[in-house]
Amino acid sequence: MRPIHPRLLAGLLTLALIAVFFVSLFVGSSPIPVIRAAREAADGNASVIALILTEVRLPRALIALFSGATLGLCGAAMQGLLRNPLAAPGLIGSSSGAVLGSVAVLYSGLGTLFWLALPAGGMLGSLLATLMVYLMAGRDAGTSTLILAGVAINSLALAMVSLILNLAPSPYAVQDIVLWMLGSIANRSLDDFWMLLPGTLIGWLLLVGSGRSLDALTLGEETAYTLGVNLPRLRWRIFIAIALAVGSAVSVTGTISFIGLVIPHLLRPLVGFQPGRLLPVSALGGALLLLLADIAVRLFPPGIEIKVGVLTSLVGAPFFLYLILKTRRWQT
Amino acid sequence: MSHRRLEWLKAATSYLDTWAFAPSRHDRGSLVSYGLALLLLIVPLNQGLAAPSKVVSINLCSDQLLLMLAARHQIASVSRLALEPHSSFMAAAAVGIPVNDAKIEQLLTYNPDLILASPFSPPHLLNLLTKLGFRVEKLPHRSNLEGIRDNIRLMAKWLDRKDQGETLIREMDRRLAEVESRLGHLIRTQSEKPVALFYQPRGYTSGSGTLQHEALILAGWRNLSAELGIVGYSGIDLEHLLHGRPDQLFTSAYTPGSESLAQRSLRHPALARITGGKPIVQIDYRYWICGGPMIIDAVESLANAHNPGGS
Repeated sequence: MRPIHPRLLAGLLTLALIAVFFVSLFVGSSPIPVIRAAREAADGNASVIALILTEVRLPRALIALFSGATLGLCGAAMQGLLRNPLAAPGLIGSSSGAVLGSVAVLYSGLGTLFWLALPAGGMLGSLLATLMVYLMAGRDAGTSTLILAGVAINSLALAMVSLILNLAPSPYAVQDIVLWMLGSIANRSLDDFWMLLPGTLIGWLLLVGSGRSLDALTLGEETAYTLGVNLPRLRWRIFIAIALAVGSAVSVTGTISFIGLVIPHLLRPLVGFQPGRLLPVSALGGALLLLLADIAVRLFPPGIEIKVGVLTSLVGAPFFLYLILKTRRWQT
Repeated sequence: MSHRRLEWLKAATSYLDTWAFAPSRHDRGSLVSYGLALLLLIVPLNQGLAAPSKVVSINLCSDQLLLMLAARHQIASVSRLALEPHSSFMAAAAVGIPVNDAKIEQLLTYNPDLILASPFSPPHLLNLLTKLGFRVEKLPHRSNLEGIRDNIRLMAKWLDRKDQGETLIREMDRRLAEVESRLGHLIRTQSEKPVALFYQPRGYTSGSGTLQHEALILAGWRNLSAELGIVGYSGIDLEHLLHGRPDQLFTSAYTPGSESLAQRSLRHPALARITGGKPIVQIDYRYWICGGPMIIDAVESLANAHNPGGS
């Protein structure tokens, strides 16, 4: 595939994203006149349709937009840093660590301590899990070592999540496992969006300037070093950024898998295999994919609630298998 | 159950069959002769005519009716949940009564002459108890007022306490009539009955055919879920809920001092806004874990929500 001009690609993705965002406001279980609802909401009229638009559909679309962008962006950053096409938040422990952190905070009752307690738990869990995978696999880990370390940490985190939820006093805790493991953005409110926002934005800001360093890193660590890249600092910066952004997103949505893996892969050839250019377009692509997936789950008739993570996994898992086959062929 | 005792029971029941007696229950420890067995068989025969005196209940629903209707000396044991104040309406009355965990060894030690269970009790346990000759009665699951009255009468009959049963039903009906007359006064001043909905953690609601529906109607509300065609307990979509414009939301869940994602769904700001800022009214869950006279308490709470602060 020939690279497309980066500005053109970003522009096209942005246009598509804006369109899909507005479409998502029109899709719901009960048809409402969206334009009138928007006008009434703007007038401060608390009618039912305005309420459905601003309190149900808008938060959902915003959360899909921001967490999808986070997943795409972090997948691209991680693949660039580890120079490994199979690195993604869901595979190397960042997401499951975030779930563990959020679950530990929420079900122990610490979630009510302060406004950002829940995402803070997610961030801490995400950072710890990612660091553990990184330390277990070693610095220049091969793909399989990294994936194996990720599998180990993911299983450990999942086991601990199950344990906490089984021991939690709430009778609903065990049923919540599904929400955390498959990811859902149904019935989220603007409160959830405000909770997700700070960590997400700080994480994104930390990643903004790292594109050039990631580009230099493709030439090898020594070359990057001679080009003035401070590798340990870059590593910390990206790990912390991912922990902040993914931790915040996951603490609100649960693990939505494969977006961080699929999107950078699809877009990489289009940006000429440059990790720096891949970052912004992956963010756009991730948001686009999650919004589309969330629109798709809303099209099911009411009463059938498909979690959005189920859909992304149905798309992502075969893609992951294809990637494994491709890298195997490439290695032999 | 020891092997020896089983053998003895087999022998005793086959002995009974030869005398064309119905198999009866037995758990008298080690007996050695058929003569002694025969002697003991006369005792339960007499007991069958009198009120049961060693009743063991293994289910919260039968626990509560038992505690309401039986004389204290008739109760040998109730299930552990009967003591749990958030689940059991009769928790205070259950204090001091031995509790069981529906384990066969434990139940046998009470040597019960009546075992009360629910249709959902483990079938293998009930089968074994029946095979061993114990009298097992299953209290049906009920989800309306008439069924609750039937259950009270059924339990009263089992316990030979029919007068107590009728008194309990009369008291229920008296309180219902009181709520109705109070509401009649209130509803006249309203053009239409207000719309309410039960919203539970995870976005579940109670449609027609549930105790919550019955109580809402008795308390002078329209049940939005039932009007949306929901039967039984089912999830309700948030957009549908808002579209129905409920005047009041109720919730009733067993969640003392706990937190979960499911429970967070009740804090969605749209829920408060659709009812004009009225908070969701929490109704104790113990009123309807089981169908029983305590539903009247729930009806009274629901009726009081018509004019908070008043009445």
